[in-house]
Amino acid sequence: MDPSDELLVLVETTRQFANEELLPAIREAEQARGPGVGARAAFEQIGLSRLELPESLDGAGLGAVARVLVNEELAAADPGAAWALDPLGGAFPVLAALGDAALERFGLPRLDASQGRVALAWAPECALTIEGERVDGSVAYVPCEAPDLLALLAPDSVMLVADGITAEPVRGAGLRAAGGSQLRLEGASVAARVKGSAAAKAVARVRLQTAALLLGVMRHACEFSRAYALEREAFGKPIAHHQALAFLITDMQMALDGARLLVHEAAWRLDAGLSCVGEAASAFAQCIEAQRLIGPSGVQILGGHGFMADYPMEKAMREARALALLVGGFDAAVECAGQELTRTETPLGLELAS
Amino acid sequence: MDFSIDPESRRRLEEARAWGREAMRPAGIEADRMGAPLPVDHAYFKRFVERGGGRTRWAGPDGKAERGPRASVVTTLLLSEELAYWDRGITVADPGPGLPEASVLGLGTEEQKERFLGPFLDLDRPRWACFAMTEPGAGSDAAAIQTQARRDGDGWILNGAKCFIGGASRADWILVQATVDPTKGRGGQRSFFVEQGTPGLGDFKIEKKMGLKAYESTSFRLEDCRVPAENLLGGEPRHEQKAGFKRAMATFNAGRPVIAANAVGIGRAALDEALAFAREHELLGRDRIRDRLEAMTRKLRMARLLCLRAGQLADAERPNVVEASTSKAMAATVGMEAATLGMELIGLVGVRGDHLIEKLYRDVKAMDIVEGTGQIQRMIVARSLVQLPR
Ligand SMILES: Cc1cc2nc3c(=O)[nH]c(=O)nc-3n(C[C@H](O)[C@H](O)[C@H](O)COP(=O)(O)OP(=O)(O)OC[C@H]3O[C@@H](n4cnc5c(N)ncnc54)[C@H](O)[C@@H]3O)c2cc1C
Repeated sequence: MDPSDELLVLVETTRQFANEELLPAIREAEQARGPGVGARAAFEQIGLSRLELPESLDGAGLGAVARVLVNEELAAADPGAAWALDPLGGAFPVLAALGDAALERFGLPRLDASQGRVALAWAPECALTIEGERVDGSVAYVPCEAPDLLALLAPDSVMLVADGITAEPVRGAGLRAAGGSQLRLEGASVAARVKGSAAAKAVARVRLQTAALLLGVMRHACEFSRAYALEREAFGKPIAHHQALAFLITDMQMALDGARLLVHEAAWRLDAGLSCVGEAASAFAQCIEAQRLIGPSGVQILGGHGFMADYPMEKAMREARALALLVGGFDAAVECAGQELTRTETPLGLELAS
Repeated sequence: MDFSIDPESRRRLEEARAWGREAMRPAGIEADRMGAPLPVDHAYFKRFVERGGGRTRWAGPDGKAERGPRASVVTTLLLSEELAYWDRGITVADPGPGLPEASVLGLGTEEQKERFLGPFLDLDRPRWACFAMTEPGAGSDAAAIQTQARRDGDGWILNGAKCFIGGASRADWILVQATVDPTKGRGGQRSFFVEQGTPGLGDFKIEKKMGLKAYESTSFRLEDCRVPAENLLGGEPRHEQKAGFKRAMATFNAGRPVIAANAVGIGRAALDEALAFAREHELLGRDRIRDRLEAMTRKLRMARLLCLRAGQLADAERPNVVEASTSKAMAATVGMEAATLGMELIGLVGVRGDHLIEKLYRDVKAMDIVEGTGQIQRMIVARSLVQLPR
């Protein structure tokens, strides 16, 4: 279950980037509604934006496993910045599902320019009417500043909208470093669309990359609060050594480790061409459950300090909550995983065929 | 057995509801949007005082100040829930003698009541007072506070740092907890009135908080801050009275159920908002959603009852320490759950950051931290249930 040496190098490089470029500037990035110029340049230089792009298109040709590993590292520093740094705004899986033509038309120019304003939204949750190729209505929130391209996801279809979008900036409960907009669509048109299993797989991929961002935020909350608890003393010993906190810290870590394995397995299945739609949805749902414990507990372990912006736990709690509401959130993930369950007799049967 | 609300309490609740809807909630939302406490000269405070708020419960030097009948603890809890429903931050921001009033009434000398509560009898302007216990290095472990009080002729010299103190920079006076002998833990502690403007009191820093932005939580320092001997709460040892007050504090706890009631109020607001959203978006037909809303309603009702039970015991002067801690531990958890459910139900609208539920989600977390964290409440209950050693 360990990543290959190649992936470990990638993880190490990403971690170094995140620690040096993102972590020291988390509050500035929130304030500025985007990461700084230096962070953008460094991100581009290490080639993280072309991670999954096929080698034929000058990309690294890596898969979902690489993506989830990288996303966890980035989000352990700043999930909002992680989102904003990607010129495709997390929409690569949608573009890939739509095929090379869409990738070349909508993806490559943004990758070449190292910037894009691409937004993702879960269509069933938006107030949209889609009639034929025409789309009207509104999207309450996307983690993107003034997008000019919108990828709409649904359980069995994904589509791109490239015109008729008006954006209004919103504050956002979290992910402020990604910017944030509320969208109006008037006479917008579907530029490309795909349905069926390719779409379901794209949704699975988006769920996994979002789940991985959640893993990163949760890891940060676990690590930061654990270190704090070992240093802070009350009643004559480190607060971590009071059993109530020791067990809380343990429960948080167990929730994180378990959820991470689900994400990794689902990503591995996706790369291996195995069924992965239900698995990815399950993994995302489990991350959301873990987040319900870990986000607020990170604050709790710091006591009053956790509630104050001088420490990053209040931010982690907000970020985790926000991430857990994207791509349809918990209910849509559980619905998807449940649907998959109805198609299987022994969902946990060990797969013995090679 | 009787769970009804008496007519007088109902009247007060109706009044609170009208005020909450019309004034408190808009003021709370305004502060949250600004990301800063409401300024001292905000019209809300003026109106609050004009309608009779912010007065002391003290009956005045001749014992004759006009006061309505003192509310029972149960009524106070119902009101605390209702007011927090509209805006918990505003309830703390409201002018008045606030947290330290009970200690001054219980322990203060007649001169101190006159000097420090007197200005709150007939308010000429919004006035605040606050209580400062927590320090950067010690919160839950209140016996470990480091702020020192040293006798100096006919006064005391205070040195130390306090943090997260509600309303400290706008308070007329701060009741500062300090130690005269750190080796004695709580036994070595005394409370001192420190008036605003006293030399050595300064370095006020208003914290940026995740929620409850309507009121200031402020850190400050005391550097060779000299106060006269008369500022020692209760004056020089009056052991009997002090011991009596402390015994009462150890037996009946009214503070924790108030926070529990606040948490229920915030949770109820989240539930109502979630229900309204579900109704508007025709989500109530979905079993998954309806079941979660039902469970939430049930848990909030349970938390409310636990909290009223603690209040009822206090009213009957029966010990309520276990019930008070139970209610606080339970209500803070349930309030958080309600806000979480609300967020999950409204989804993207919640992430947008301008829906009331999103604010409630940030506000409610503090209910598990203030007045003894959830862990401390469980310790208190466990001491009684399984004789958990101290
Ligand atoms: C919004 C807000 C308003 C406040 N207003 C005031 C005010 O007006 N006046 C004032 O004096 N203070 C105020 N406080 C401070 C508050 O009372 C403290 O934050 C609280 O008592 C916790 O102390 P601490 O922050 O130092 O956390 P710590 O005591 O350092 O606790 C950190 C963590 O350790 C846990 N812990 C500690 N001891 C144990 C143990 N024995 N077993 C298990 N776990 C343990 C705690 O539960 C917590 O999770 C306020 C705080 C907030 C957030």
